[in-house]
Amino acid sequence: MSRISDWAMLGATSSQALNMLASLRRRLREIFVRWALRVRPPEAAPIILTQRRVYVLPTRAGLAYGMALLIILLGAMNYNLSLGHALVFLLAGLGIVAILHTFRNLVLVSIRPGRCEPVFAGGEAQFDLVLENQRPDPRTSLRLFFEDDVPVEVDIGRRAATVATLTVPAARRGWLAMPRVTIETTWPLGLIRAWSYAVPDLNCLVYPEPAAKAPPLPWSGDSARGSTRDGRGVDDFSGLRNHQVADPPRHVAWKAVARQQDGPLLTKLFSGASAQQLWLDWNSLPEALDVERRLSILARWMLDADAAGLAWGLHLPGVRLPPDSGPAQLSSGLRALALHDHGTH
Amino acid sequence: MRLPELDAILADINRIILGKERPIRLSLACLLARGHLLIEDLPGVGKTTLAHVLARVLGLDFQRIQFTSDMLPADILGVSIFDRDSGSFHFHPGPIFTQVVLADEINRATPKAQSALLEAMEERQVTAEGKTRALPEPFFVIATQNPTHQIGTFPLPESQLDRFLLKIELGYPDPAAERELLAGADRRQMVASLSPRIAPQRLIELQDSVRAVHASPALIDYVQALAAHTRTAPRWQAGLSPRACLALLAVARAWALLDGRDHVLPEDVQAVLPGVIAHRLRPTDDTLRTNVESVAAALIEAVPLP
Amino acid sequence: MARINRPVSRRQAWWLLATALAAGLPLTPQLPLWLSLAAAAAFCWRAALTLRQWRLPPRWLMFVLVIAGTAGVFLQYRTIFGRTPGISLLVVFLALKLLELRAARDAMATALLCYFLVLGQFLFTQTIPTALLACLTVLITTANLLAASDDRPNPLQQLRRAGLMLAQALPFMLLLFVLFPRIQGPLWGIPQDRFAAVSGLSDTMSPGSIAQLSQSDAIAFRVQFKGTVPQQSQLYWRGPVMPAFDGRSWRVAQTLGAYPEVPYRGLGTLVDYEVTLEPHGKFWLFALELPATLPPDSALTSDYQPIAREAVRNRLRYNQRAWPEAIAGVDEAPGALRDALALPKQGNPRIRAISAGWQARHGNDGAAILAAAEALFSQQLLIYTLNPPLLGADMVDEFLFDSRRGFCEHFATAFVFALRAAGVPARVVAGYQGGEVNPVDGYLVVRQYDAHAWAEAWIAGRGWVRIDPTAISAPSRINNNLANAVPSGEELPFLARGDLAWLRELRYRLDAVTNGWNQWVLGYNPQRQRDLLASLGLNEPDWRSMTAVLSVLCGMVMLGLTAWILRNRLRVDPSLAAWRRFTARLAKRGVAWQTWEGPLAFAERAAKQMPVHAEAIAEIASLYARLRYAPGPRASEFEQLKAKIAAFKP
Repeated sequence: MSRISDWAMLGATSSQALNMLASLRRRLREIFVRWALRVRPPEAAPIILTQRRVYVLPTRAGLAYGMALLIILLGAMNYNLSLGHALVFLLAGLGIVAILHTFRNLVLVSIRPGRCEPVFAGGEAQFDLVLENQRPDPRTSLRLFFEDDVPVEVDIGRRAATVATLTVPAARRGWLAMPRVTIETTWPLGLIRAWSYAVPDLNCLVYPEPAAKAPPLPWSGDSARGSTRDGRGVDDFSGLRNHQVADPPRHVAWKAVARQQDGPLLTKLFSGASAQQLWLDWNSLPEALDVERRLSILARWMLDADAAGLAWGLHLPGVRLPPDSGPAQLSSGLRALALHDHGTH
Repeated sequence: MRLPELDAILADINRIILGKERPIRLSLACLLARGHLLIEDLPGVGKTTLAHVLARVLGLDFQRIQFTSDMLPADILGVSIFDRDSGSFHFHPGPIFTQVVLADEINRATPKAQSALLEAMEERQVTAEGKTRALPEPFFVIATQNPTHQIGTFPLPESQLDRFLLKIELGYPDPAAERELLAGADRRQMVASLSPRIAPQRLIELQDSVRAVHASPALIDYVQALAAHTRTAPRWQAGLSPRACLALLAVARAWALLDGRDHVLPEDVQAVLPGVIAHRLRPTDDTLRTNVESVAAALIEAVPLP
Repeated sequence: MARINRPVSRRQAWWLLATALAAGLPLTPQLPLWLSLAAAAAFCWRAALTLRQWRLPPRWLMFVLVIAGTAGVFLQYRTIFGRTPGISLLVVFLALKLLELRAARDAMATALLCYFLVLGQFLFTQTIPTALLACLTVLITTANLLAASDDRPNPLQQLRRAGLMLAQALPFMLLLFVLFPRIQGPLWGIPQDRFAAVSGLSDTMSPGSIAQLSQSDAIAFRVQFKGTVPQQSQLYWRGPVMPAFDGRSWRVAQTLGAYPEVPYRGLGTLVDYEVTLEPHGKFWLFALELPATLPPDSALTSDYQPIAREAVRNRLRYNQRAWPEAIAGVDEAPGALRDALALPKQGNPRIRAISAGWQARHGNDGAAILAAAEALFSQQLLIYTLNPPLLGADMVDEFLFDSRRGFCEHFATAFVFALRAAGVPARVVAGYQGGEVNPVDGYLVVRQYDAHAWAEAWIAGRGWVRIDPTAISAPSRINNNLANAVPSGEELPFLARGDLAWLRELRYRLDAVTNGWNQWVLGYNPQRQRDLLASLGLNEPDWRSMTAVLSVLCGMVMLGLTAWILRNRLRVDPSLAAWRRFTARLAKRGVAWQTWEGPLAFAERAAKQMPVHAEAIAEIASLYARLRYAPGPRASEFEQLKAKIAAFKP
């Protein structure tokens, strides 16, 4: 019995030791990275991976290869096999050549920050990096990854550029800076690994997560007289558009319809004092809700209003967005929400 | 190979519209490149005059279409009317059947009317009642739109904006020019007194010679590099399309010709870049959206000459 | 480090199969048949797995197969250590590895196994064809590694890239091969079966044993003479000396004294030569009679036979000198003389009777008895043949008086028997006689069919004297070669036939190539390395200085390769280069060209800042703008631009 507990003890201590080893490795790597990057991130574009910042070490496979060569060499020595010596030396030469090829595959790649579309919190921020190859021959199998993450593998053609897209979970609204990216390659033989670090100056705007449940859109103004549900007025004629099923029949522009044959029905549009204003107002939400919750609800409203094609305005403490519709308005509004109380706009 | 006639044309226009050399030159370049021009500006800065003068100096017919919200495509393209005498339908061409069209306040019209104009612009022909009628040559549309978003206007969608080769602003004249304008003679009379500098046939020749202006591989590399940058850099929401690149090269060629060169220089590309990207490139940062010049400068300075 | 262990793609699987085939096929002659068949089955299974996208065999099955394979090898050889069993095991592992290719790691393991198998192949043979085959295997294995990294290029591209990388590795290989400090093996034990099948002289000689050797074309050793090649009849290559006779076979002495140096003095001029001895698994070193010096790590037995301290298991090269004439053994030990007289109690009565007659007539006069024996041999009209008839119990009598047909061992046996019976100490010497000079490289090649046996008699006052009884009956064997000596129509070894001139020529050339290969590649040992380095001016190099030289040279090769690999093939437009020179000059004066700035725009700005040079700047800029952006070739303008920029001194 005591035997078993001994084993268990041993297992526990060994797993502890492994954990310690892992944390030690992580810490060493952190120290190395800090030294390697030297310049304080983020770096100005384009980031060129010069000779000085590309590191080269054998991979596990490379170490195995080295061990195998050593064994072959011992065998060749023992049996006085001249061809065995030749084989070892050829393979050793191949190893050295592999270092050069791998190094060449990575060195002088230039990295520019690419696009980075805003995302909602809870989604995945996508950072595009543009990798450029000035050389007249292609680069193969470059892997880019954030620490401990799944790598993205790309090739770059001769004198061409490739976009590598790396994703990071966007947890909180606001600016999400691109984490440090490692770029490595083991091409062509997989024996040698050349790698470098970069911190491109790329930030992703993270909008607040739209609330799953939100109160209905906060219509304001006098809704008693002659207004339609979509917030348009009825007083002044302001234009025509194609008739939609929901438009009131009395707004059909019969004259205009009569003038063209086979044309669709047109609806007269009106604007006026009584046109209802859709104001999404921070203050209209109860004080009891915390900041993030309120922003979530505002985001949901914006999305709903935009989906309905409505014009809307936004009131936030310190921000006032006049009513408008369209993608530009939506992005301005969401941006204001994302950066609320963050100082930068 | 400086072309004196072009200099004379520019001089004529500059005599009437004061202090606007650059927009005027751009408009002429746009015309020479067989493109159409979109002017976004406040009323009263001389958009109509510019269109009028251009037509006049080049000896072209001129029509103005004031766009309104109840306008129908037929109001632009023309309509077939039943002729009792002949007992058949007779096509009455719309105002678009002219060489220089000023489409005023285009964003007031419904998308339907707008697209009627834009399709005609693009295809240089009008299809009505199953019959295709070619528009005159040369054919040049100057559309104007009001910058402020008003309720009841229909801003042109981005895909339609691409049909305009250039988008420029005229802006207020500087004080000296404004003073001269106020003190000088009536502009309308001055326009009326202008005589054509060249024949329409010569204009077509000039348009052909724009196409012959040489763009060297190095220059095409440059245009590509600019486009590639807009497509990948985080500063812009969507990059320049291949059509935008063609537009850039076409205007740059015309600009080079106006400068009396048979080849395009990077300077030409840079000079026309703001007008080409103004309605095509949307910065991610909304605060930059209004200032086209600084957006263009940022793009130019980010891309080294190849 | 990103850990990716991608599954093996189909293309990669094909590559792995090709690699395994390339490494395994050359070994089939060495492997037991069942193993070759099993490996072939595994390869086919792999092909089917790849082709049909079947599921990999389950782990338990693999486990069973590994056990079965190992057991099979053990049952075959009763061990799993040693050369052939070891390689058989490697083949088992390789074949089974192919069946469980799951990730890129397995591809690497397969490649390493293949490298080991190439080494294993060298344990059996190191000929030029083997080397070429090994090159092919390494090429395919390298391409396989390439495919493991990136499987998109087609096979030809992969092979080309692998070839390029190997070509780049060649300089390193050459440097390391020449300069890497060599150590004479073995470092530990040598498998017992390493030299199972080498042919050569053995330490016993019975009728027919040398005749058997004479069917072999295999090379025994090669000799390079420093001076002229001695006459064919002088070329007696002394091998094992055999004083003990049991009535049928001769054998070497059981116990022998050894001289650390040559105990006699020779006459005449020394013959200087170098022997490259093929491994034969025995201790003796062949030397031209009589050896004047001893090779290193060897001693001279009391019957003047140089022997090595260790059995000759590797090709051995040594310098030797010989006295064509020497007086040796005048004061021979009585024990040795006694041994040289021993005869079986019975048998061969006829020759015993004749010998007794000689002894009665001449008494102790050994020289006279020798002459009588020679006379007997020439009287008998003996025939030298490769196919002697089988002889009975009284083999000497039967040979001399009945069949009168025999090979050299019959001649030597009979002659020594006759002398001993007459009271003259005599013994049989085995070895090689003659050889053939290869006109291509001047080496004398001694083959197994040159094996020979002759007699040595001890004459008081003269010591040991060589007599070749074969020469009495068939002098052409000694003066020319085997082919001339045997009656026509007898079956000769292929290479010993002299009728095809072109074939002989071809053989000479091939032989010279093989010899060069043996001398310089296979025979490149610590000694040769020292000699070579000494000839390069590096005397008595220790491993430190060798490592230093090696590192420096490898570093230089690496620099060269780096420069070649990192070369920038970007071709800059010459006018752009000129423009850059110009702007650099201006930048020094504080007017920096922005990389995005057009030439004319820059010129305008620069002219404003440096009004003195405005004209020159404008000219240069417009010239450059035209050169770079205007149509058509403009050679004269380029010259102008260069001249203007050269003249421009801000």
